[in-house]
Amino acid sequence: MISVPYKHKMAAHCESGSITSLLNNAGLDITEPMVFGISSGLFFAYFHKMRSFTFPTFIVRNKPGQMRENFTKRTGVKFKTYSFSHPEKGFLVLDHLLDSNIPVAAQVDFYYMDYIPSWERVHINVHFIVVVGKDDSAYLVSDSYFPELVSLRVESLRKARFAGGNMSPKGFLFHPEFIPEEIDYETAIRKGIRKTCFNMLKIPIPFLGIKGIRMFAKKIVEWPALARDTEHLSHEVMKINVLLEDQGTGGAGFRFMFATFLQQAAAKINTPQLLDFSKKMMVIGDGWREFSLLAARFGKNRDLGPQRMKELSDLLMDRAKAEEQYFNELYKAIKEI
Amino acid sequence: MKEKDGYTNAPEQQVILYVEKEDGNYGPMQTGSYITGNYLDDYKLKRGHLEESLRNKVINNEISPVSYYMILEDLTVSELASRAGIRKSIVKKHLDPAGFGQARVSTLKKYAGVFNIPVSALLQILMLRYNDHFESYTILEEKKLDKGIELTDTKNPYVTLVKIGDKLP
Repeated sequence: MISVPYKHKMAAHCESGSITSLLNNAGLDITEPMVFGISSGLFFAYFHKMRSFTFPTFIVRNKPGQMRENFTKRTGVKFKTYSFSHPEKGFLVLDHLLDSNIPVAAQVDFYYMDYIPSWERVHINVHFIVVVGKDDSAYLVSDSYFPELVSLRVESLRKARFAGGNMSPKGFLFHPEFIPEEIDYETAIRKGIRKTCFNMLKIPIPFLGIKGIRMFAKKIVEWPALARDTEHLSHEVMKINVLLEDQGTGGAGFRFMFATFLQQAAAKINTPQLLDFSKKMMVIGDGWREFSLLAARFGKNRDLGPQRMKELSDLLMDRAKAEEQYFNELYKAIKEI
Repeated sequence: MKEKDGYTNAPEQQVILYVEKEDGNYGPMQTGSYITGNYLDDYKLKRGHLEESLRNKVINNEISPVSYYMILEDLTVSELASRAGIRKSIVKKHLDPAGFGQARVSTLKKYAGVFNIPVSALLQILMLRYNDHFESYTILEEKKLDKGIELTDTKNPYVTLVKIGDKLP
């Protein structure tokens, strides 16, 4: 039995949560919103047709792995990373790290996390957990989405780390390797905010950023024609709520966490101008939550006629308008502050 | 969002939300999942209907068991092919009952690995009596009932030991 001393803590999101947790356990005092904001985690993309998805969907965060990479670039914190072609090698390295008392984050397919209730588990290859121990039959895991440390069977972890498919984990592992004595938070925070604004406003691709929210608004009225039947449509519309509130966003598709980041950033680098942007983002988040709760209610009531889908579309257009104005103002302000 | 508005009673699925605290600071709160706390029964109802509809199609030889699990697990043909390490054209063939009959046992094992089920589950439908009717094993599992059934892996990767009794641990 190996058990690395580790302080487990739930977090809103698995990637920002595992990075924060590893850094906290390595001695760096930093919050999840600060990791999320510095790494420009907030984003939006709408996918109407993709080979990997059976139905249109959207994401509200940047590409998996980018949080760690952006955080490294902006703070100087370095992570040691590993990928593997062969599961045997992948487990040899994991066991060696645990033997050396190093807790290590692993990329996994969420479907095989058998301590999570079955209705929550879906095939998604970009879940992150921290492995902190093992015995003969199971690994000891710190999962941001679970209140306490849990056991995960060796076979389940093997399937989860080496699942095939889109964004296959390939046994990916990482852990902190170097934490600078001094971090230039002012530069890191500014760069994090600027890149977030750029991603939301400037990428010239029609399904990304604010353009993506508008595309979602236009396309959601086509969803009824794509569903097998009313119950399928109800399920997909209610999944909007899951994607915005449940799947590790901290509520309102990460908007509440971004508001928290700006509040903490204002204090950290003594820039009170960011407080106003923090409050405005909280209000924008409330609008997203109103949208997601309404989607859940329409879905539950099977109230999914053209008028209701148009209502959801209109709310999304409002979100796009509010965020376009917000990020333009923030982009301008962060250059001048 | 104010902290008081974030509370949901759902001990089976906890989440972290970022909320405005009473002192005006924003920070994390641990609470229940909104959708689980309010609409889990509706999810299970729809899931049960989908399982029943697909099961009837398998029984009537309209779709194959691979198709049954692929739809239930919300996978596309491309995604299933990539996860199982089987060519897409072959997976398409196995979605049809006639094509499924030509699949090798080693190929079925690959599908079973993706679906996280024993190979035997691709060749039989296991239903248990629940009060006055029968329900599929997976639905009963979600209800966390005393199922009276135990499935155990064996040293033979293609064989699952199934024990059925009134009350098993």
